Amino acid sequence: MTTTARLEMTEVVKTFGPVRALDSVSLEVGAREVHGLLGGNGAGKTTLMNVLFGLYKADSGTVRIDGREVTITSPRDAIELGVGMVHQTFLQVDTYTVVENVVLGTPLEGGSHRAGLAAARAKIAEISERFGLDVDPDAVVEELPVGVRQRVEIIKALYRGAKVLILDEPTTNLTPQEVDALFASLRTMVAEGMSVILITHKIRETLAVCDKMTVMRDGARVQTLDRADTDAEHLAAIMVGESHGSYETPTLTEAVALGTEAPGAVVGEEHVGGFEPGVSVVGATVRNDHGVELVSGFDLEVGKGEIVGFAGVAGNGQVELAEALAGVRPLERGSITVHGSALSGKPTAQWLDGGVAYVPEDRHRDGILPTSGITENLILGSHRSARVRRRGLIDWRAARQRAAEAIDKFSIRADSPATRAGDLSGGNIQRVILARAFAHRPRLLILHNPTRGLDIGSTRFVYEQIREATAAGCSVVVISEDLDEVIAIADRVIALYQGTQAGEWASSQVDPYEIGRRMTGLGTASVGGAA
Amino acid sequence: MSTIEQNPPSPGGPPSAPPPAAKGRGAGAAAGIVWTLAPYVVSVLLAFLVGGALIQAMGYPAVDALEAVLTSSFDSRFGLIETLHKWVPIVLCAYAFAIPLATGKFNIGAEGQMLLGATGGAAIGITFSDLPAIVLLPATLVAGVLAGAVWAGIAALLLVRFRVNEVLSTVLLNFVSFKLIDWVATKVWPDAGAGHPATTPVGEGARLPLIGEAPGLHSGVLLVLALAIFIAVGMRFTPTGFEMRAVGDNPRASLINGVRTSRLAGAGLVLGGGAAGLAGAIDVAGVHGRMLEGMQSNFLILGIIVGLMARGSMLALPFVAFGIAVLEFGAGTMQLVAAVPVEMVLVIEALILLFLLLSDLVRNRLRGAA
Repeated sequence: MTTTARLEMTEVVKTFGPVRALDSVSLEVGAREVHGLLGGNGAGKTTLMNVLFGLYKADSGTVRIDGREVTITSPRDAIELGVGMVHQTFLQVDTYTVVENVVLGTPLEGGSHRAGLAAARAKIAEISERFGLDVDPDAVVEELPVGVRQRVEIIKALYRGAKVLILDEPTTNLTPQEVDALFASLRTMVAEGMSVILITHKIRETLAVCDKMTVMRDGARVQTLDRADTDAEHLAAIMVGESHGSYETPTLTEAVALGTEAPGAVVGEEHVGGFEPGVSVVGATVRNDHGVELVSGFDLEVGKGEIVGFAGVAGNGQVELAEALAGVRPLERGSITVHGSALSGKPTAQWLDGGVAYVPEDRHRDGILPTSGITENLILGSHRSARVRRRGLIDWRAARQRAAEAIDKFSIRADSPATRAGDLSGGNIQRVILARAFAHRPRLLILHNPTRGLDIGSTRFVYEQIREATAAGCSVVVISEDLDEVIAIADRVIALYQGTQAGEWASSQVDPYEIGRRMTGLGTASVGGAA
Repeated sequence: MSTIEQNPPSPGGPPSAPPPAAKGRGAGAAAGIVWTLAPYVVSVLLAFLVGGALIQAMGYPAVDALEAVLTSSFDSRFGLIETLHKWVPIVLCAYAFAIPLATGKFNIGAEGQMLLGATGGAAIGITFSDLPAIVLLPATLVAGVLAGAVWAGIAALLLVRFRVNEVLSTVLLNFVSFKLIDWVATKVWPDAGAGHPATTPVGEGARLPLIGEAPGLHSGVLLVLALAIFIAVGMRFTPTGFEMRAVGDNPRASLINGVRTSRLAGAGLVLGGGAAGLAGAIDVAGVHGRMLEGMQSNFLILGIIVGLMARGSMLALPFVAFGIAVLEFGAGTMQLVAAVPVEMVLVIEALILLFLLLSDLVRNRLRGAA
């Protein structure tokens, strides 16, 4: 080991007010290495990388690139030093072409704008060819699917000469096929001498692509391991940590969702004996906010106690379907019946009374009253029902009492029922929303990306709550872009493509690759396909 | 400069609002009250400091001027009554702004709604001037409320039905109302002898009874006091009040949880218009005895200032409004005593608001550091 490391971060400290987000973290990444940065939510992975990319200024600590100490105060510095970062949300100009998006912010070579663009186009094509990042340079970005837009973002970093590429949770919205392609590209990059840092909480992925992995927890580095010296169980144990009491082996369902176990291993979880009829959707047709029909003639039966999972790439009518099922978005045509009562056409409040509870995807935008307390947030939706009112007025004392109980039962980390919902962390906000949903004693529960961004403990908690609900006869619809999650918890998996059902599997018969094909619009025409 | 700082804090002085619903237990509650009150106190002090410096710089005696502003409301019975009479339209116009704001909508049409309320009240008071007070007075006030509500209702309808921005519609309706009352005061019921565009007086039965010997306090003050309590309780304890606050906090989340948001936003505007309309009717029935042009004074802007200063607390709002009423009444005395133009008080009020808004930033910094 005579060669110096490509990147060396030493004892980096970063505090936000009283919170120590990074507690003297050190990280070493070699050349020709895919380095996994693993940890639950709030472990400090993204914070550490934001420091490296110049988005945050560290309180102390040093950064060396190729042995030379550097100061990075802005992303521009980082880019000049050969550090590139692909964020979870892409910052792209939708109406520009791929080439225009890539060159934006860089000086163009050549005498004229046109000549510069042509040169850039050639360079982009070359990068795309070399690393297997298949992209049409002249396509307009808004017309591209998420997976391709991510490739654009990677090309953007490579075009700027990145030798250290940071990817923040890159697989969240990808199909299994796209994940495979991405990982192949990453391997090509490191083979050419680059370094890649992969931020993720999915253990299976790190094992598939990384050479080394660093596990972080509570803002500190726990351990750095070689791929050869570890396995899924071992990594999961380190991630969860002994500090949270004894580490329990996750159930098979959890293991699949957490990515320690390959999907398809869920055999035997199939519900025996079928379900009583519960929710029935007939010919539902829904328009989006711009009047475009995104869901057409949708039929669905969900039994009492059954979990139906919808797998799909974002933007295939998930939001519209979820809102239609929740009674928030009016049906253009069709009907929805929940446990015997026909609800379509009625105002949302009646759906809530009828036991329809909705856990929306966008927690901040759709889920909470940010400047109101937990008490107010929990009462929202049942504020007109008799159980919160006394002599016509809202009984705040009783409401506070119930909020305190919910804080206890749902392990919401908050000072008091008066704590503002907007001040809570993502996981705790989700717990508040779940507490509210379950207070309705749901007959139909609609969950959209229920565990996105949650750590292992919170994810496990959500699954436990869902199971408790189904045990009580609740029909559950889970819509998720995380295919592993859908496969893990659903009794029946339906692939969603452009608002239609592109395939259906019982939980014992799922084939993730086949689901991946169907949810990207492949294989629906040819019977059987190439499974 | 040093003289200004010695300004005595006047008894019961300017806007020191009570803790708006600062609920908590034990030591946390006390800290909460301090955190709520401190910005008001500091903002008022700073505003007077800067305002005083401005007055001094303009060559007027700052101490005399500010003393006049702060104390004249409490010097005499007349002063207090006049202050309370000013408080009524200020607090009602503040509701006209703050109630729609609770649902996230901006009503900038309080003066138009107030003028319509005055016109409605005057129309009843003049047309049925022979009726006894027991019938005519309630009818006058109700007519004012309805007229204001209908005027705001136009904006509400445009908003709910056609998604017309309420800021635009309410502002523009103000200009329509000016034309309308001009027509009423010069063509429909003109009082030729008034020397100013005004209607003929309303009937005796339409006048609010006065309390105490002349100059008496009109009973509209008590009516508004009761209304203030009703609104504070209603916003906190009724499901509709809760829905309004919820919509103001996050309309999407409210919609998803069964609140009919656009209907509620419309209702907020109509209620606000009703409050402004009542202000007009009370000023007709209690102060002027007729509808006259210019009676809207600058209540629109004062209502907005008070509504913003109260920061969404319907409990704090009447107190803040009283503070502003003190300053407004003191302005006239200041002009008499120190020859400082009355507009200076508006400058001070604006400064209070500015410092109050700035205090949010400062407070967040302090809390973050703690």
